[in-house]
Amino acid sequence: MEKLIYSLVSAKNNLEALNALLAEMKGISGFDLFVVATDEVAAVVSDFDRSGTATDRTMAIEYAGLIEIMAQHFTLLPVRFGSVMESTDLILKMLERNYHEIQQNLQKVDNKCEFGLKILCDPEKIMADMKSKTEAIIKSDIAPSAEGKNSVYREWVNKKLTEHRLEEMMITFVDSVIAALSVSLTRLNTIYKFKKMVTATTIIDAVFLLDKEKKDALIQSVEVIEKQFPGLNFLLTGPWPPYNFVEIVLK
Amino acid sequence: MEENKILFSTGSLDGLSEEIGNLVNREESRLKLTPDNADSGLAKLVLTLIELIRKLVEKQAMRRVDGGLLTDGEIERLGETLMKLEMKMEELKKHFNLTDRDLNLNLGPLGDLM
Amino acid sequence: MYDNVIDRSKDITILELLDRVLNKGVILTGDIVISVADVDLVYLGVKLMLSSVETMEQLKAGKGIIEK
Repeated sequence: MEKLIYSLVSAKNNLEALNALLAEMKGISGFDLFVVATDEVAAVVSDFDRSGTATDRTMAIEYAGLIEIMAQHFTLLPVRFGSVMESTDLILKMLERNYHEIQQNLQKVDNKCEFGLKILCDPEKIMADMKSKTEAIIKSDIAPSAEGKNSVYREWVNKKLTEHRLEEMMITFVDSVIAALSVSLTRLNTIYKFKKMVTATTIIDAVFLLDKEKKDALIQSVEVIEKQFPGLNFLLTGPWPPYNFVEIVLK
Repeated sequence: MEENKILFSTGSLDGLSEEIGNLVNREESRLKLTPDNADSGLAKLVLTLIELIRKLVEKQAMRRVDGGLLTDGEIERLGETLMKLEMKMEELKKHFNLTDRDLNLNLGPLGDLM
Repeated sequence: MYDNVIDRSKDITILELLDRVLNKGVILTGDIVISVADVDLVYLGVKLMLSSVETMEQLKAGKGIIEK
């Protein structure tokens, strides 16, 4: 039967403990969880019947829950849902081929957790706010050309220029929020990734990787920043296994 | 697994959950080509790329206009070219029945590309 | 109203979870898959370079899940 891979675990002297934990758990569709290991890296695996129950959200949630339990006790790299290989032999070979990269990533996430921060705005409110602040400036710049009348092309440029400037203002504003956050994040020794302006509403989508013990300090820092930007809505979630910090493609 | 991973939040939870639902559903990076939709599937791919480049070019042009060093004539010519490009793209999108959303045109992160 | 808070918190948690487990984490092959006539042949890396996939089996599993 095919094998479903759940996670890649650091197996330094703890294979016994890992096996003990897995023995108390059940994998997807009730299959047993077991380990495929080479040296200091182990893959947590179970049989997988593709033709069996529908692979859907519920299964994905269950799968993630299992990873969560493993992550509470071991340093691991969570594997994306749906990663299936034909046999344990192939899995072993895959681990060997990618050994170095896996090890590096395990080291990176050792004793750390991921946290997510999304910052939302009210797009209309913010636009209105910015427009009023800059109406004067924009109007003065977009003067008609020498002939005193604008061509349709010039009008188009003016329109685009205004959009462009509002966008730039938005980016500057978002950068200021990120700058404020970065100060605290750096102090907490965080690895962080920011996505700006994902939608008109979600202006920041960030993920942080930091020591487990720093969770409360992180919450505090975010609360402090939130007070500086009362018009924005914050959502801080976690702790999560390090899904966003394991950019490996296993060959 | 814990039922609630929210550590801190402000604003209405209803609003938050709606927006996050939108975000998660947008992650569709699979382009499925079948004999039926090969045309539009391929078109979608190509147009996505073209639109990305066009928007980058437009943005760069606006930066130069904003810089204030272009002559009226240059601005005029830029406007004409870009406007026509934009119109052409609209035509193509209509022809293949694709919206900006179809083309997965989330250019917010373009801020990062720039 | 309190129930709504609990429900919404759960909703948000599940959405965040799904985003991670379905779209992030270690992957066996590349990001974007183009499937032609139900057969996954190639994948596009982020830099849009064409490359061949290793095993169709692996892709079918991934494809099956995301299609739903």
